[in-house]
Amino acid sequence: MQQVKLIVIGFIILFSVIIVSGSVFIVTEGQLAIITELGKPIREPLINAGLYFKIPFFQEVRYVDKRILTWDGFPSEIPTKDKKYIKVDTTARWRVIDALKFIQTVRNERGAKARLDAILDATTRDVISNNNLVEAVRNSNQIVKNIEDAKREIEAKKARGEAVVEEISGEIEKVTIGREKLSEIIARDAGKELESFGIKIIDVQFRRISYEKSVENKVYERMISERQKIAQKIRSIGQGERAKIEGRVTKDLQGIESEAYKDAQVIRGNGEAKAFKIYAKALSFDPEFYSFVRSLEAYRKSIGSKTKFILSQDAEFLRYLKRTK
Amino acid sequence: MSNGRDFDPDIEKFKQEFKKNIKYLYLAVGAILLIGFFTSSFYTIEPDEEAVVIRLGKYIGTYPPGPHLKLPFGIDKLIKVQTTRVLQEEFGFRTHSTRERRTSYAEDNFDNESLMLTGDLNVADVEWVVHYKISDPFKFIFQTSEPITNVRDVSESIMRRVVGDRAVSEVLTTGRKDVSIQARELIQEVLDRYDLGISIQTVKLQDVNPPEKVRPSFNEVNEAKQEQEKVINQAEKAYNDVIPEARGKAEKSISEAEAFAAALINTATGDAAKFLAIAKEYKVAPEVTRRRLYIETMEELFSRMENIVIVDEKVKGVLPIFNDASLVRAEK
Repeated sequence: MQQVKLIVIGFIILFSVIIVSGSVFIVTEGQLAIITELGKPIREPLINAGLYFKIPFFQEVRYVDKRILTWDGFPSEIPTKDKKYIKVDTTARWRVIDALKFIQTVRNERGAKARLDAILDATTRDVISNNNLVEAVRNSNQIVKNIEDAKREIEAKKARGEAVVEEISGEIEKVTIGREKLSEIIARDAGKELESFGIKIIDVQFRRISYEKSVENKVYERMISERQKIAQKIRSIGQGERAKIEGRVTKDLQGIESEAYKDAQVIRGNGEAKAFKIYAKALSFDPEFYSFVRSLEAYRKSIGSKTKFILSQDAEFLRYLKRTK
Repeated sequence: MSNGRDFDPDIEKFKQEFKKNIKYLYLAVGAILLIGFFTSSFYTIEPDEEAVVIRLGKYIGTYPPGPHLKLPFGIDKLIKVQTTRVLQEEFGFRTHSTRERRTSYAEDNFDNESLMLTGDLNVADVEWVVHYKISDPFKFIFQTSEPITNVRDVSESIMRRVVGDRAVSEVLTTGRKDVSIQARELIQEVLDRYDLGISIQTVKLQDVNPPEKVRPSFNEVNEAKQEQEKVINQAEKAYNDVIPEARGKAEKSISEAEAFAAALINTATGDAAKFLAIAKEYKVAPEVTRRRLYIETMEELFSRMENIVIVDEKVKGVLPIFNDASLVRAEK
C-alpha cells in the first residue's frame, strides 16, 4: 500500500507540474501574445506584459514582437529615369499593427521578411526608375540658390576686374520631389500593400546611393578633368597677373622718368625766365652803359694770354702813344 | 515469498536510516535554497549604468546605481544599460585599438560607408562619428528591436542627405561645420520619430576628402595656386626692384633742376644789383668813368699778352710780315 501511495503522489506531482507549466505563461515587455485554440486564434491579443493563464493542451500561445523592427534591403542596381545606373541600398523600419492578420498571413518575422523584400524592392525600383538621379540625391533646391549666388558674386568680381579662379560649371538641375519625399512615396506605396499582412511601414531610408562601378569611373574622370581645367586656369591667371605687373613696370617707369624730365624742364625754364626778367629790369636802367661794361668784361674773359694782337696805331688805347693831346 | 521476507529487513533498516538522516537532507535543501535566494536577489548597479527591472515580464522600474534587492529565481529580471557613458558610432573607418599611446585604426577601407554623392553629382569621401547617449533605458530596450542598427542606418541616410544638398567644393572646404550641425539635428529628428530613447550628442566630421582616384587632381589645383602666387610674387619683386629707384632718380633730377633755377635767379639778382649800383654811380660822371673802365680793362688785357704788334695806320697789308706757323698753316 505504501508503494502505491508513493507512486500515486509522484504521478499527481508530475501531472500538476505539467498542468501548471501548460497553463501559465509570461508576456514580456515588447511582445504581445495570441492564444490559439486548435490553431484558431481566440480572444483579443494580449498586449500588456505580465503573467497569464490558459487551458493546457487545447490552447497554444503565439508571441509576436511589437517593437519597431528593422528591414535591411539588398543593394540593387537601378537605372534612373535619366539613364544613370546607380546602386540603391535601402533600409526600412516596420512594426506589426495587426497581430492576428500577421500570424494568419505570414506566420512569423521570417515570413514577413520575404514579403517585405519583394514589395519594398519592387516599390524602390519603381520609384527610382521613374525619377531623375538628382531627385534621389538632393532634398532641396538650396544648392541651386547657392550656385546662383556664387555666380553673381563671380560676375561682380569680374566687373571689378579681380581674378576669378573657381568658375561654376554647368547648370544644376532643379529637383521637384527630392530625396526625403521619394522615400516617403516608397514607404506609402509599399505600406498600402503591406497593410493586408498586418504590417505598417514606419519609414524608408536610402542608406546609400552610389554610382555603379563603370559610371563611377566616368564621374571620377570628369572630376579629374574639371580639376585640371581649374588648375590650368589658375596657372594662366598667374601668368596674366605677371604680364600685368610687367606692363605696370614699364608704364610706371616711363611715367616717372618723363614726368621728372617735364617737371625739371619747367623748373629750369621758370628759373631762366625769372632771371631774364631780373636782368631786363635792371639793365633797362641804362642799356648803353650795360653793353659797354659787359663788353669790357667779355673781352677780359675771352681774350687769353696766347692771343696775338695786331693793334693799329690809331686805336683808342694808343691814343697817347703818338701825341699827348 | 521467502525471498521477500529476506528483503524486508533491508527496507526496514533503510527506512530507519532514512528517518534518522532526514533532518540532514532538509538542512541541505534549505541551505541550497537560501544561497540561491541570496545570490539571485542581491545585485549592484555600476556608476555608469542604470537597470531596467522586469517582474514576470512586466516593467516595474529603472533603478539608479548602487546595491539593490530583487525577487529571486528569475521572477525579477534586470537589464543593465550604460546611460551616463557617451557612446560612439564610426562611419567610414573603425578604431582598432585605443590601448596603445597612439590610437590605431583598422586597415580595411569602408568606402561603401564613406563615399557619397554630392549635390553637383560628384563624389566625396566623408568620414564621421556620431556620439550619443541612452536617454531612456526602457525605450532603448523595448521600443525597437535593433536600436544601434537604427542609429547607424539613420546616420548614414541623413549624412548623405545633408551632403547631397551641397556642392562638392562646399563639403570639402567651408561647409564642414554646417554639415555636422545640420546632420545632428536631422538624425535626432528622425530618431525621435521612433521614440527609441537615444539622444544624439554630436556629429563630428573626420576626414573629408575627394575620392582616392581624384585626390591627385585636387592636389594639382593646390599646386597651381602655389605656382600662381610664386609667379605673381616674382613679378612684384621685379617691380619693386625698378620703380622705387626710378622714383628716387626722378626726385633727384627735379632737385637738380630746382638748384639750377635757384642758382640762375641768384646770379641774375646779384648781377642786376651790381649793375644797378655801378650804373647809378656812372650817371654821376659818365665820361670819366667810361674812360677809366676802358683803360683799366685794356691794361689788364694787354698786360696778359705775350705778343702785341703795333702797326701804323697807313701801312696796308701787314700780314706778310708775320712769319707765324699757325698763319702759314691757315693759308694753306
